[in-house]
Amino acid sequence: MVENNEMELSEAEAEQYDRQIRLWGLESQKRLRASKVLIIGLSGLGAETAKNIILSGVKSVCLLDNEKLKEIDLYSQFLAPPDKVGENRAEASLQRARALNPMVDVTSETKSVDELPDEYFTAFDIVCATGLKQEQLERINNVCRDSNKKFLCGDVWGMYGYMFADLVDHEYSEEIVQHKAVKRGPDDTEKNARETVTITVKRRAIYVPLQNALSADWTKPELRSRLRRGDPSYFVMKILLRFRDEYNRNPDPAKRRTDTEILLRMRDELVKELSLPVGFISDALLTDVFGTVSGAAAVVGGVIGQEVVKAVSQREPPHNNMFFFNPVKCVGFVELYGQ
Amino acid sequence: MVARVAGVFDEKLTEAIANSKILVVGAGGIGCEILKNLVLTGFPQIEIIDLDTIDVSNLNRQFLFHKEHVGKSKAQVAKDSALSFNPNVNIIAHHDSVISNDYGVSYFKQFNIVMNALDNRVARNHVNRMCLAANIPLIETGTAGYAGQVELIKKGLTQCYECQPKAPQKTFPGCTIRNTPSEPIHCIVWAKHLFNQLFGEEDPDQDVSPDTADPEAAGEAGASALSSESNTAGNVERKSTRAWAAETNYNPEKLFSKLFGDDIHYLLSMENLWKKRRPPTPLNWNALPGKDDTPTQHSGLPDQRVWSVYECAQVFAASCDALQADLKRRPEGDHLVWDKDEKSAMDFVTACANIRAHIFNIPLKSRFEIKSMAGNIIPAIATANAIVAGLAVLRAQSILRGDIEACSSVYLRPKVNHRGQLFVPEKTLTPPNPKCYVCAPKPEVGLACNLKQLTLKDLTAAFKDGLNMQAPDATVEGKGLVVLSSEPGETDHNNDKTLEEIGLNDGCALLVDDFLQNYEVRVRLQQEDDEKSWRLVTDADAPKLGPKEEEKPTNGSNGANEPKPGPSRSRQDSDSDMEIIEEDEDGTIVKPPKRRRTEMSDEVVELC
Ligand SMILES: [Zn+2]
Repeated sequence: MVENNEMELSEAEAEQYDRQIRLWGLESQKRLRASKVLIIGLSGLGAETAKNIILSGVKSVCLLDNEKLKEIDLYSQFLAPPDKVGENRAEASLQRARALNPMVDVTSETKSVDELPDEYFTAFDIVCATGLKQEQLERINNVCRDSNKKFLCGDVWGMYGYMFADLVDHEYSEEIVQHKAVKRGPDDTEKNARETVTITVKRRAIYVPLQNALSADWTKPELRSRLRRGDPSYFVMKILLRFRDEYNRNPDPAKRRTDTEILLRMRDELVKELSLPVGFISDALLTDVFGTVSGAAAVVGGVIGQEVVKAVSQREPPHNNMFFFNPVKCVGFVELYGQ
Repeated sequence: MVARVAGVFDEKLTEAIANSKILVVGAGGIGCEILKNLVLTGFPQIEIIDLDTIDVSNLNRQFLFHKEHVGKSKAQVAKDSALSFNPNVNIIAHHDSVISNDYGVSYFKQFNIVMNALDNRVARNHVNRMCLAANIPLIETGTAGYAGQVELIKKGLTQCYECQPKAPQKTFPGCTIRNTPSEPIHCIVWAKHLFNQLFGEEDPDQDVSPDTADPEAAGEAGASALSSESNTAGNVERKSTRAWAAETNYNPEKLFSKLFGDDIHYLLSMENLWKKRRPPTPLNWNALPGKDDTPTQHSGLPDQRVWSVYECAQVFAASCDALQADLKRRPEGDHLVWDKDEKSAMDFVTACANIRAHIFNIPLKSRFEIKSMAGNIIPAIATANAIVAGLAVLRAQSILRGDIEACSSVYLRPKVNHRGQLFVPEKTLTPPNPKCYVCAPKPEVGLACNLKQLTLKDLTAAFKDGLNMQAPDATVEGKGLVVLSSEPGETDHNNDKTLEEIGLNDGCALLVDDFLQNYEVRVRLQQEDDEKSWRLVTDADAPKLGPKEEEKPTNGSNGANEPKPGPSRSRQDSDSDMEIIEEDEDGTIVKPPKRRRTEMSDEVVELC
């Protein structure tokens, strides 16, 4: 997936990316610079993700969205100026996205994903999707997977959020720091002469597609035992994806009361369906899922952005395969589903 | 304003946000992100303070700034950019230091929440005290590389920023720096000192010449070195390095021959030093290694190539010329300030550190690596800053909603822990340390020193550097006698008197206060004959330190361990002041004292 990474960085690049090169190394930066990224869905989460990826210095970013910028987007979507409400979200975001980093080629696409052929998606090295229905997500994921391209998706509803990653068959290197005592000279008495040695190990991670993760079988004992940890974030995601599929929209702040009732009813159905303990999915988690809260979009967009950097630079272990942010406990965790 | 779209938050929070006023301290990586989140969420009244200007190396994460803003005020540009997200909020930007009389306790009292997005301990300590005095909740943030943290500080409810003694900043004995370096960092520290000796602010603690008072050098064999040219202070008696260099007109060859030839020969004459060490090899300007090397193909950034000794000497000569020319252009008595982003200053330190490293058989480093070490650069990335700032603003919302008790510290881990957690919240708030010398109801601390030697001037330094006061006043408890006044001129005539001479004795207590910080602490003096400078003695659990630091349970001994504000010391370049959290088997967070704040230090030299 990584093209030409032999070309040296220009002085301007070295200067601008200095601090991150000090963290992830020159090789990673070159790989970033060779990567083409597609971002689908310019909601607040899409904007946060785009910002992080553009700042990192990839080769190109395409912003894809067929929706119009709405008032409610302005709570978290900082790439589109407030006076562009009613215009296409991707196009409205273009100018500010480009200003974030003139060294990255940023473009827009205003067609809906359903209008675009499979080859469209596989022209990118990695696709990040947000705001889509389950069926659309699964299609794009499978298209990417067949061409060995990486796929991530995620959403933020209110303060709650999740991310899923399918990096297919992913090879990466991980640096492990080891300490060893060293001596200088024949009778060195310097007590603190220690050296840290960094060794790089190659690793491999195998991923599963989204449909596997979303249809995890909760009757299986290994998943049942996960219930004891007591975090219902996975089910909150299921409920919200179902809501979107069923109503063709996200929970609406203007219909806060009625939508909350719907969510709680869907919750009860899911609890019955999967034989979950009653009360396992608290009301509290389903009351803060309206609009996109800026802080939560920053958090989940930060995680997705970092995963994209890890995936394309093939450095450091990426999350396999779901990340959840539970705002009630302020905990963020990774779990593997569907394997 | 927040009700731009009603129903995103419940009514209580919507109302609380609409009536809130927030102070953001710092407009760097985290500050930009916090400001964005606040503005988008619709926080109607925000003030932001930052004294910095924008540098090109900020642009990879401080996304409110673009190339055309380089050199401008961070606070002002951050305000302008953020207003474009939501022009209906009110932002006041201060291009200023938060440590100023303009931002007193009454200033802090007007806010509902203060959010710290700082990059240095001095300012963090100061804001901590201001928020304690004003009784305003403070959300403290920091990142270092992939890791980060968000911590609530509220008087009486949680521990404060200074409740746990922090790991002292790494220091190196002066004799290691001057006589027996064994690691690259020793040579880098020496090179930075040399810069100050030649071009910067001269500091007697930063002498770069051989130290004849090195206890290791003493004894018969070393006696030959302790010749008539040395004085009791251990410094070779002669003109200051600066004066000597000026006389030679900063001739690079002469400077080189003295620093890397004569001084090394002198060190070799201190034979005891080399009984168990490999002796250094003096260099000759006319016979430098690497002169005839053909340059090898180098992949990577130009700065990542390690120069040969010959190349170092060339760079040394060129940077000396450039720096001297810069110095000459300035008014008499002015000096340069070392800055890692200043080409000649960085070249000079790289060259000198590597030449010295070669002499002492220490591996040479690239300019890129030396810049990290000399400039205390902690790598900073957009994503970690975004996550930490997002968590911080969510915490601020919880506080406004009345859930302050639920706002325990949250740690962003560089990798997930064994329970799969990437953001790890503590189970509960961490209560205040009752023995904290800052937030305890009656703060108290011991000061161990030799009263016969410590002068009033040293005492002032102890209060400023050790207790992080800005303008301390001190009176003798029970007597009301003013020992130290922050009013200029009032007690200055006593500056050179020892504490004993002004009538202070063992066990005597001083009431020391800082008007600006609204902070008073009772300081017990403890006579210690062996203490060369001073040392704070706290009742708090001493942190577990490495063997080197163990002798110094608190803030070190020479009174210079805390970075001083002001231009003479480089500041850290990140938003960092991280605590590294270790977890036990169950994933429960191990509480202090195992918990440590790691902070890349401004290196400081201890006296031997
Ligand atoms: Zn305290």
